[in-house]
Amino acid sequence: MPDATEPVALEPVQHDAGIVATGLARAFGAVQAVKQIDFAARPGEVTALIGPNGSGKTTLLLMLASLLKPDAGTVHVGGVNLGDDPRAARPLIGWMPDTLGVWETLTAREILISIGRLYGMDKATSAARADDLLQLVKLADLAAQPSRVLSRGQQQRLSLARALMNDPSILLLDEPASGLDPGARIDLRNLLRKFAGEGRTVVVSSHVLSELDEIADAAVFVAAGRTVRNQTVKEADAQKRRYSVRGLDHEALLDGLTAQGVPYTVPAGQRRAEALVDVATEAQAADVLRLLVEHGVSITAFAPTVGALEETYMSSVYDHESGGSATNPEETEK
Amino acid sequence: MKLGYAAGVRTVVELELKQRLRSKSWYIMLAVWFVVIALVTALAAYTASASWNGGEADSGTGQLMFELVAGFVLLFGLLVAPALSANSITGDRSGGTLAVLQNTLLTPGQILWGKWVAAWVAALGFLVVTLPMIAWAVSYGDVHLPAVPVILLMSAVELGVACAIGVGISARSSRPLFAVVSTYLVVALLTVGTLIAFGLSLRFTQEEIVDYEVVNPKDPYSQLEHDPETGRLLGEDGEPMTPVEETKVYEELDAEMQNYVYNPEDEICTERSYERTIVHTERTAWLLAANPFVVVADAVPVEPNVYHQGQSSYSPDGPIGAIQVGVRSAQAGYDGPNCVDGERQVGPAEDPRDLAPMWPLGLGVQALLAGILVFSGRRRLVTPAGKLAAGTRIA
Repeated sequence: MPDATEPVALEPVQHDAGIVATGLARAFGAVQAVKQIDFAARPGEVTALIGPNGSGKTTLLLMLASLLKPDAGTVHVGGVNLGDDPRAARPLIGWMPDTLGVWETLTAREILISIGRLYGMDKATSAARADDLLQLVKLADLAAQPSRVLSRGQQQRLSLARALMNDPSILLLDEPASGLDPGARIDLRNLLRKFAGEGRTVVVSSHVLSELDEIADAAVFVAAGRTVRNQTVKEADAQKRRYSVRGLDHEALLDGLTAQGVPYTVPAGQRRAEALVDVATEAQAADVLRLLVEHGVSITAFAPTVGALEETYMSSVYDHESGGSATNPEETEK
Repeated sequence: MKLGYAAGVRTVVELELKQRLRSKSWYIMLAVWFVVIALVTALAAYTASASWNGGEADSGTGQLMFELVAGFVLLFGLLVAPALSANSITGDRSGGTLAVLQNTLLTPGQILWGKWVAAWVAALGFLVVTLPMIAWAVSYGDVHLPAVPVILLMSAVELGVACAIGVGISARSSRPLFAVVSTYLVVALLTVGTLIAFGLSLRFTQEEIVDYEVVNPKDPYSQLEHDPETGRLLGEDGEPMTPVEETKVYEELDAEMQNYVYNPEDEICTERSYERTIVHTERTAWLLAANPFVVVADAVPVEPNVYHQGQSSYSPDGPIGAIQVGVRSAQAGYDGPNCVDGERQVGPAEDPRDLAPMWPLGLGVQALLAGILVFSGRRRLVTPAGKLAAGTRIA
């Protein structure tokens, strides 16, 4: 993970690339979908946008995609201030909405070619790029089919290809994995990593935290229309986490933990030889494992109980929500 | 990346037309349309034919058929155009494809132009399908040929206006059904509403005048005097005639009438005055201007002999000519006093043919209305979007 050591900074210094949004607010009538969101995503990274239903994720992405005007705050995308010149940012942005809009009677290939034409490509260039992208999202076999016969997952992949037609340097993906089968999810993951590797700015919103864990370099947590937390995955990994330790023999495992002075709990109703330990850092986790092994305990499994992002989600978003401030405006999330 | 204005419009048109041309309903509508128009034309041909009229074909059959078809095309076109246009943007909005278009380099103007052109082209398809019928009418040989291209052109323009109204309303509204119904209402406002408004306005143009009876020395009938009580003719002695005398007088008169041709200029004003109400249609005739049928009919060159037989009696062969004559007469104000200062007032104040045509005014009003609707719809297409209608999602 390149450049992930620094915490995400929101200073205007970064306006030349990526996405920097500060102080965003947006209401739909009486419903305040976004109250106060600060968001940053850097080129070469995959930034996860995480939050419960109705937390304002889609509204935020619409503002970043230059489709929705914020009531307050500013957005810079690829160095362009959307408040000043939204049109200048359009060529840079690839946006994949959460609702699948397809022209039903057009074929997948025709849709992509038309979109390419709307970015000013000539017919040949657009057709060539459409074919490449159909190959990339593995829809080449269905290229000549009307898009209404595509399954949800296939339409989702078509939608991704559509978002890529203009070769965007900023990718905004709203729940891209929903409806995809496991194989397609892995493909998507690899694709997003590849895009980030090419120096693009990739923003992904999703509920599936374990998936984001593997691809995200940074995460922005939102709840009830507010940024709850900005975090890099390095930071997430460094936070206090709970590890599950399993050994061959329950007694030996607990003895070992006691002898090394590691506090632990035993999960209730667990028949296997398992103990839970809280560690502050990954380094400390490694220490615990090393000490146990040196003590002669036979360890069969040693792993975080939940993913790093889920840990943050539970500690910041879920707590925030339980505080009772969450609302579910229908305008922002289905 | 640069997107030329025309190139963007063209791509939107292509996208839109491809979708329309691939839906079955489009062809079914065209087929139904063709059958209906064919029936109307055939019926007109039959009723004017020799077999219907006892061995002698009507003159002006081709003209009647042609104008009937043209009138139907306009009528049905105005019924179809709102359906074709009013869903074009609202449908994309509810289908989630509008935001996809907005996120490309397209400007709101390009989207509107593209949707409008596509809807218009689709509406013109209905005009094209009727060309065989028009050719059939023309084959009768009595169609006033200069009228043909003008009627087709003006009908096409009117369909374009209806489509623009539909697209403008479509851009404004978030519910497809609302957009379609509103468009129908606006089109109905133009077609029926203008008529109603004109009809109602006549109440305010009424005037009570004192007029004088006229006699026509060349028309023996006009010199007859009737007994106000019995209704019988008065004899030279001033007494009512007996039925036998009356019949005899009538027979003599009929013989005299053989070579009589009515001409108002022959009439002489009498001293016998009476009160009557006249209607100044010329004061509110402009209300009719924005009616699509009036715009088309008013612009059409009518065969010269329609106005030939004297200024107060026109005999158009078909509905379009009838509308034109009716509107021009209303515009001229045909209803005036018969006599002023003992002078017989002949015909309308102005020759209908010399009047300034009304269709530019009507087309202007329509264009203004469509323009306002499209412009206000454009505001709803601007991104980043400010105000959204309650309950709408942008994507």
